[in-house]
Amino acid sequence: MTDLDRHAGVGGSAARQVVKFTFAVSLAASLMSGTVFAQSVDLSKWSPDYVKSIAGTTTYDTAKDCGAVVPNDYTGKVTYWYTGPFEADPEISHRQDKAFWEAFKVAYPNIETDVQSITYNELLDKFRTALLGNAAPMVVRLQILGGVEFAAKGYLNPLKPEDVGYSSADFWPGALKSVTYEGVGYGIPTNNETMALIWNAKIFADAGLDPESPPATWDDLVIYSKTIHDKLGIAGYGLVAKQNAGNTPFRFMPQLWAYGGGALDEAAATPGYKEVWINNEGSKAALQAAVDMYVRDKSVPVSALTNTQADNQGPFIAGELAMVIAHPSEYARMNDLASKATGADKEKADAVVANMRYGLMPTGPDGKRAVVFGGSNIHMVKSDFVEGGNVDEQAVKALICMWTSPEWSVKLNWASSNPGHLGGFRTEWMKERLEQTRFLDITTSMLPNGIPFPVIPEAPEIMNIIVPDMLQNALTETMTVDQAVEDAAMKVQAIIDGSGGI
Amino acid sequence: MSTGQAIFRDVPDPPAPKRPSLGSRIVKSRTDYLYVAPAILVMLVVIAYPIYYTIELSFFNTPASLALSQKQFNGLDNYVTILTSSIFWKVTWQTIIWTVLSTAIAFLLGLGAALALNREFAGRALLRGLLLIPWVVSAVAASYVWKWLYHSDFGAIGALMVQLGVTDQPINFLDNTSTSLYSLIVVNVWKEFSFAMIMLMAGLQTVPDTLLRAAQVDGASPWQRFWHVTWPHLSSVSTVTILLLVVQNFNSFIIPFIMTGGGPVGSTQIWITHIYELAFLRQRWGVGAAYAVLLFIIMMTLGYFYVRALTRGDDQRAGA
Repeated sequence: MTDLDRHAGVGGSAARQVVKFTFAVSLAASLMSGTVFAQSVDLSKWSPDYVKSIAGTTTYDTAKDCGAVVPNDYTGKVTYWYTGPFEADPEISHRQDKAFWEAFKVAYPNIETDVQSITYNELLDKFRTALLGNAAPMVVRLQILGGVEFAAKGYLNPLKPEDVGYSSADFWPGALKSVTYEGVGYGIPTNNETMALIWNAKIFADAGLDPESPPATWDDLVIYSKTIHDKLGIAGYGLVAKQNAGNTPFRFMPQLWAYGGGALDEAAATPGYKEVWINNEGSKAALQAAVDMYVRDKSVPVSALTNTQADNQGPFIAGELAMVIAHPSEYARMNDLASKATGADKEKADAVVANMRYGLMPTGPDGKRAVVFGGSNIHMVKSDFVEGGNVDEQAVKALICMWTSPEWSVKLNWASSNPGHLGGFRTEWMKERLEQTRFLDITTSMLPNGIPFPVIPEAPEIMNIIVPDMLQNALTETMTVDQAVEDAAMKVQAIIDGSGGI
Repeated sequence: MSTGQAIFRDVPDPPAPKRPSLGSRIVKSRTDYLYVAPAILVMLVVIAYPIYYTIELSFFNTPASLALSQKQFNGLDNYVTILTSSIFWKVTWQTIIWTVLSTAIAFLLGLGAALALNREFAGRALLRGLLLIPWVVSAVAASYVWKWLYHSDFGAIGALMVQLGVTDQPINFLDNTSTSLYSLIVVNVWKEFSFAMIMLMAGLQTVPDTLLRAAQVDGASPWQRFWHVTWPHLSSVSTVTILLLVVQNFNSFIIPFIMTGGGPVGSTQIWITHIYELAFLRQRWGVGAAYAVLLFIIMMTLGYFYVRALTRGDDQRAGA
């Protein structure tokens, strides 16, 4: 039995999962068929077992490889902004970050570095402000949705993997799509991750559900959530629908896509980002499922309208919430919360951690499985907007080559994500990670189902404002499902047309 | 005696001294102006330029796909878009409710607390310190604490209500479009009533004790003593306090943004959070700037009355 089988369940339910997983892989493969590149790892075989089988099979000499792109004795300077490890991050992240800069100094002793680590919430605003004052860094690493805005505005230099000695085939097609604006690449993926469904097996058992089988479809999830609520009086699924919060689309869009919906046509094989899908039948069905849970069954937290996933962590560790959608790092976070608990709370929290299970995201009615393709990309800023008016391209390439290398794309994302460079999956460090990090194989195996948000500058407004608004309109019964999707469609269309009210 | 008075009456009034012109007053006080020149220069850079830039930006369209340097002039379109939007008027009404209720309740509570603490009693200093806590606590921290107190599933207030048998289910404070704004107003009042209390306690120090005692001797009731003696002495400080509270509440951001993010369904959206959403989350800098200009005009109007209240009587004192 594979790990996937173990996590997905046994017997008939496992067989069902395998069939659906095969379907998802086939779907992903078909989505990728548009690319002209032969991938450096075989994405059609992608599964937890395949990920494990290739780990540790290749060794790399990063300094030497990058030395072939930019000579190791090159003298220059590079300035760089990124979101590095902060106080709340695990110790390993701090160690790897420090190790990178030491390794870079050894590989390129004559390149001076000026580096700023800026928090996730501040980086975009600070970068925008710096660009207006021509005081931006030469290199910046942004969240996956961030780069296209700056590419569209003409702030970024074209940049593709080949510029730093790699092949486009070394990266996920979806990740490359996220840095491509009007056919031109403006960055290189540094890391990619997808979320998974997490559940508390004990709650499932107490509610009379199979503790080792997650809901296979979103319709099943609605039923599971109701069953748990009716039998135990606690929330089944941790719905989040806060306004102005990126957390909301990261959890709702997979449901929308699985039912065949979308904001635009981002879930299509070749999206053009011109067609509005948010009012199609799939989107309506997904929204109806959310309304069924919140309004009809009352099986999700009442506080969903003001909740983000961080607000669900407390109830989950207290055993008051059965299912959530979260990152691979959620297990470590729960462990951390359990370690801080005391007395009877500690016993309860430890039991929850022991009963935590990770599974693939549920599918739609026709077997479609989807998840938001997350991660970050690294970009090179144009000279006009850089402090001093000059970009040292060689120094920039040296830094980007090192940062996106198979070695460092694993090490720098040790605790929270996956390597952007597919070669990273072949390294010994990936093998070590798989052994150390529980459930990593599950979240990693969701990557082929990843769909990037629309690669247009207006995407943040559509995803962070219009999608949560649509949810709130329906969940509060301010509008019917039909009215809510039509209202959202009108707003999305207005944005695409370049207008839009306030 | 009467003769003397008659003599004085016959003397014509001396002509009023001619007020020197503004120019001559500036020349006369040039040293003073030199002293404040560096501060004025700094203010021009950090205050005047951003105001000018915001006003300029308000006449431009700033699509998400274009850099700000490529902004497109669209005249008064942004103002028209705002003023003809039903959302704007909904947010304006919510802002008025937020500002008026927050200010009125915080002021009245502050006045009550100030009057109570103005009397001698055991533990007064301790109570005064305790009542100051909301004001000194960080608004961000307070917002998170109140969010959990109000939490619709696990909030302490809801749990207490259920335990006391007041309700069967925890009250839905924040996830309900009818109660969310008023729930936030309670937090805002809790946070700022101490400010009103401090201001009014300072004002109470100016009420002459002799007047209060005289009124008491004359048989005035406590209410009469408050209304005819204390309140007239508090009118100036009250005006200033109310104006400051109004300005502060118009500009409130932290509490609504952290606790509800403007939701649910925009029911806690007020002007400043809406401006932030438009500019920083939706990158509609032009519309956001026009919105900010409207808010600026209101703030300046309030500022004018504030300065007038603050400087009331200055001219007479200067003349004397």
